[in-house]
Amino acid sequence: MNSLYFAAIINSTFRYATPVLFAALGSLLCSRGNVFNVALEGQMLAAAFAAIVINFYTKNMVLSILAAICAGLLVSSVVALFQIKLKAHDMVVGTTINLFIQSATAFLMQIVFGSRGMVQGHGMVSLTKIDLNFLSWSPFLYRAFENLSILDYASYIIAIIVYFYLFKTVRGFHLRSVGIRYNAAKSLGINSQKMQMNVVLISGILCGLGGVSLCMGGVTVFVENMTAGRGFIAMGASSMAQAHPIMAIFSSLFFGATISLSKTLQKVINSYFTETFPYICTILAITIYGAISKAKKKK
Amino acid sequence: MLIEMKNITKRYGSLVANDNVSITLKKGEILAIVGENGAGKSTLMKILYGLESYDSGEILINGKPVRFSSPYDAIKNSIGMVQQHFMLFPPFSAAENIVYGNEPRRGIFFDKKEAYRLVEELCRKYNLYIDPKIKVKDCSVGLQQRIEILKVLFQQVDIIIFDEPSAVLAPQEIDNFLQTVLDLKKAGKSIILITHKLNEVMAVADYVTVMRNGKVVKKMPKHETSIEELSYLMVGHHLEEREIEEIEPEEEILAVSNLTKTSPDGVKLLDDVNISVRRGEIVGIAGVSGNGQSELIQCISGLEHADSGKIVLNGIDVTNASVSAIREAGCACIPEDRYYWGSAAEASLEENCIMYHYQRKSELMKNGFLNSRNVSLFSETILKDFDVKHTSSSQSMKDLSGGNAQKLIVGREYMQNTPLLIAAEPTRGIDIGAIEYIHGRLLEKRQKKDAILLISSELSEIIELSDRIYVMCSGRINGEFSRDEATREKIGYLMMGGKNDDEM
Amino acid sequence: MTMKCNRKFVTVASPFFAILIGLTFGAAVMIAVGTNPFSAYRQMFSKSFFDIYYLGQTLVKSAPIMLSGVAAAIAWRAGYINLGMQGQMCVGGLCATLVALFFPVKSWWVTILCFCVGMTAGAIWALIPTYLDYKFDVSIIICTLMMNYATNFLTDYFVSAPIKDTAGDGLAMQSPQIAEALRFYRFSPKNAMNTSVFLSIAVVILIAIFLKKSKFGYESKMTGLNREFARYGGIKSTKIMFMTMALSGALCGFAACIEIFGARYRYVNAMFTSTSYSWTGLMAMLIADYNPIMTMVYSIFLAGLAIGGQALQRSVGLPMQISDIIQCSITLFVSIKLLFNFQKLKINKKPNHLERDEEVEHE
Repeated sequence: MNSLYFAAIINSTFRYATPVLFAALGSLLCSRGNVFNVALEGQMLAAAFAAIVINFYTKNMVLSILAAICAGLLVSSVVALFQIKLKAHDMVVGTTINLFIQSATAFLMQIVFGSRGMVQGHGMVSLTKIDLNFLSWSPFLYRAFENLSILDYASYIIAIIVYFYLFKTVRGFHLRSVGIRYNAAKSLGINSQKMQMNVVLISGILCGLGGVSLCMGGVTVFVENMTAGRGFIAMGASSMAQAHPIMAIFSSLFFGATISLSKTLQKVINSYFTETFPYICTILAITIYGAISKAKKKK
Repeated sequence: MLIEMKNITKRYGSLVANDNVSITLKKGEILAIVGENGAGKSTLMKILYGLESYDSGEILINGKPVRFSSPYDAIKNSIGMVQQHFMLFPPFSAAENIVYGNEPRRGIFFDKKEAYRLVEELCRKYNLYIDPKIKVKDCSVGLQQRIEILKVLFQQVDIIIFDEPSAVLAPQEIDNFLQTVLDLKKAGKSIILITHKLNEVMAVADYVTVMRNGKVVKKMPKHETSIEELSYLMVGHHLEEREIEEIEPEEEILAVSNLTKTSPDGVKLLDDVNISVRRGEIVGIAGVSGNGQSELIQCISGLEHADSGKIVLNGIDVTNASVSAIREAGCACIPEDRYYWGSAAEASLEENCIMYHYQRKSELMKNGFLNSRNVSLFSETILKDFDVKHTSSSQSMKDLSGGNAQKLIVGREYMQNTPLLIAAEPTRGIDIGAIEYIHGRLLEKRQKKDAILLISSELSEIIELSDRIYVMCSGRINGEFSRDEATREKIGYLMMGGKNDDEM
Repeated sequence: MTMKCNRKFVTVASPFFAILIGLTFGAAVMIAVGTNPFSAYRQMFSKSFFDIYYLGQTLVKSAPIMLSGVAAAIAWRAGYINLGMQGQMCVGGLCATLVALFFPVKSWWVTILCFCVGMTAGAIWALIPTYLDYKFDVSIIICTLMMNYATNFLTDYFVSAPIKDTAGDGLAMQSPQIAEALRFYRFSPKNAMNTSVFLSIAVVILIAIFLKKSKFGYESKMTGLNREFARYGGIKSTKIMFMTMALSGALCGFAACIEIFGARYRYVNAMFTSTSYSWTGLMAMLIADYNPIMTMVYSIFLAGLAIGGQALQRSVGLPMQISDIIQCSITLFVSIKLLFNFQKLKINKKPNHLERDEEVEHE
């Protein structure tokens, strides 16, 4: 294997990690506020679809991103309403919304595009790519960072912002306190419920960005149920990162690498097997993580 | 007049929690509000602090009518409250907890250095010392209370409400606390003290208001009353002294030897514990909560595993055996928390009544199938025998009041008819009638020559019922008393870590 | 007494309100895309419930739905969130098909053998995440879901090459048909209705009785309502956990076998993914609040909705996902039933917290 090939794998690792990182940041914010948000998958899928629809009609990247954010917000506001305001069971709400979005996007796809399964082409734009020309002295580095989109870079900046928000600002301090003891925070004059609802809405925005980078990050395409469990992989990434945004960057990169490898290995191994790779790696990773933290507890 | 609450009425459905209640507080005064559990004193204070709404009446502060919709409003009007359950965040530091809600900021950021400085300054001002950087989870209960008080002081309030402040403290810590209250008064604060411990009232209060069944019975200056009069007013009748008949204890039922357990972070939860319980005696374990009593009973009942040591129950070695094996060997247990361990709130009364019984009684279950007719009959027996007020045995547990739920659990465990009954906090937070009833049943079980291991954070309950008392401190058994030797002061001294042979 | 009546009324009535809201929402969607909802609904329901051909389809489709729904209910009511019904069905169905294809004898009792193999495979598939949870605190939710995705690819691999049917044009990704002797009896060659439907209904009823009356039913229910209470009462929680998940997985395997030996006669690529039996079953059991008998009723209703949706796509061209959309919105509104209950009760209920003042908080 030559080194440029390796650089290509690194490059696609970055790309595949981005949607997972966005969703993982949403997930960890929710879990810091003690909200179990299972609907990340649906939030992302709805956002991806909204981005494609607006892209199809306007061919405008900014409008597509805005549409995705709005869709993510819309879905997450349903989550916030049912799960937090109306206190419905988190698993029920999450699972139902995921299935709802899955069928609603398939439904609308046939209405809007008149096609089933996949939408691409139609002169749709993709995310602006950033070329790091100053790296051209090293073909390896150049290849590794080639063609990454603005959102790929933005995801890391947002992770750092989330870190500062959680651990350095007063609001982040209050959010963490709500997650630790809801009633105590409430009795000290914090509107705990509102904070929880806000954090779900923020997760909607983040999943919206995740959805855009999923469908417009490389080739612009929307496939039925294209998130394919990434919302849940993100939940795994967030729990492995112990809900810490900086650690989440690394766990998301790990899952990005597994997806990237599964695509690369398709050339040598039957794709039916390589496709399972990210999922099996997720299970293995959370198992190993669980074994380590359990061993630590015993000590 | 600093605070006037006039004709406050608060209803929950058909139940009247506060019925036309009026109280007044003058500046620089300590007002004690006394009453039994359920007398409505906590509700009244929650109304004053903005945690509960009220149906009619009015609140005047410095003569101006106010209406609070949240504690935030109360704090703005200079009212602070130290709640019975501390509103602290264990993973955060003392300073972070104290400045909570009024954080020093730099822009949107939390200025922690300034927070530490402010807390140190506050500590100096009121002579209440604490390390601002210590994590709350590493603090003793007494220290946590100090953090709570500092938090209220940081809010710069003039009126401080204490809700049952001494419930969780050891006697010596209580003395410290009462001194703090007097110091605060000297510093110009006005204080409302909610309690049912009358000796505290006599020690610090200026005025006493007695509440019963949601009504104010009487308000008077402290020096015009006495403990006897107050207790008569609180209960409404004179309490009968219970005569406890002497029983000669028989053979040993429970022997715990050298039991040790260490927490994951290296704290010794149980440190070489040795206890023995014989037939026909009630053995009490006194201690400030969190000193190993919970871990001890959880090890005995099989919910937790010990690191080393031996537990022999009824002649059978049950060290680290399963819960069902231990129950089989002859142990029943009234758990510390009736909703966490003791019951399933969503399940029916029947389903709650038969827990474990179905394992041993073939009329309830045969060949892996329940006999629903007998289950109903059996449940009705428990419910009737133990005076559980209910509408139907298929109603759900969460619709029972706390006292009735507790009676059901006591009944269920009593009916296991085991030689050993562990009673952990058997009367926590229930009304006086239910307490008397449960105490009677426990003594009745003792009369039947069964053994009872009693754990309670109410020292008076332990002293009243126990034939023998062990005192626990930091996971160790710190001393042992017989019924005749036991006094509040001696036990309290050992609870705080003193030694039995030390000079008092 | 009024309290009790109100409550019963609410638990029974709220799914119907939810169904009404769901159908209204569906109607709104239809209007938005320019379809007349009244004629659409009339077509949907007249087909799926009042047309003998489509009624057969509805019932046949409802069988795996109700079985996987009850499988989910068994796990969920004990507090173990099994979301891997799909994977457990895939693996159970595939294993049963393999036995049916390669076992040398073709006789009625081989069907029983195939069912046993399918159920065992489903159970094992459910036990893997259970073991990981028990041993390493791995979330069953995430693990079962990840296994769904992985299992889909693995099982589809088999019909993509090793046991692919080469008869005919050989384009379809599916296994060869199983022998006729192994199939369930069909009443008419024109109608999908067959005896497997009755078997499924019987199994659901048996499970309902079993859960209500047996020691296992009691113990798993208590575990689900309050795990600490169950542990304190001497229930062996580990045993219950493994038994519950094994039973749930086995029932999924059974559901897959019913579909294969009753309706499809072969393993088809993505047969349990694209039809989403397990998710519909999950919705049915959520609407039914874990009650097996009601799960059966709602399964038939939702199956009818889906069959009607398919018919609608053929006649009006409205995408058949409309039935999924309606189904999800019903479930979403059922999920707030708890709140509905709570508000009703608040009026009648005597507060407990007066006496619970000193209760410790557990967070």
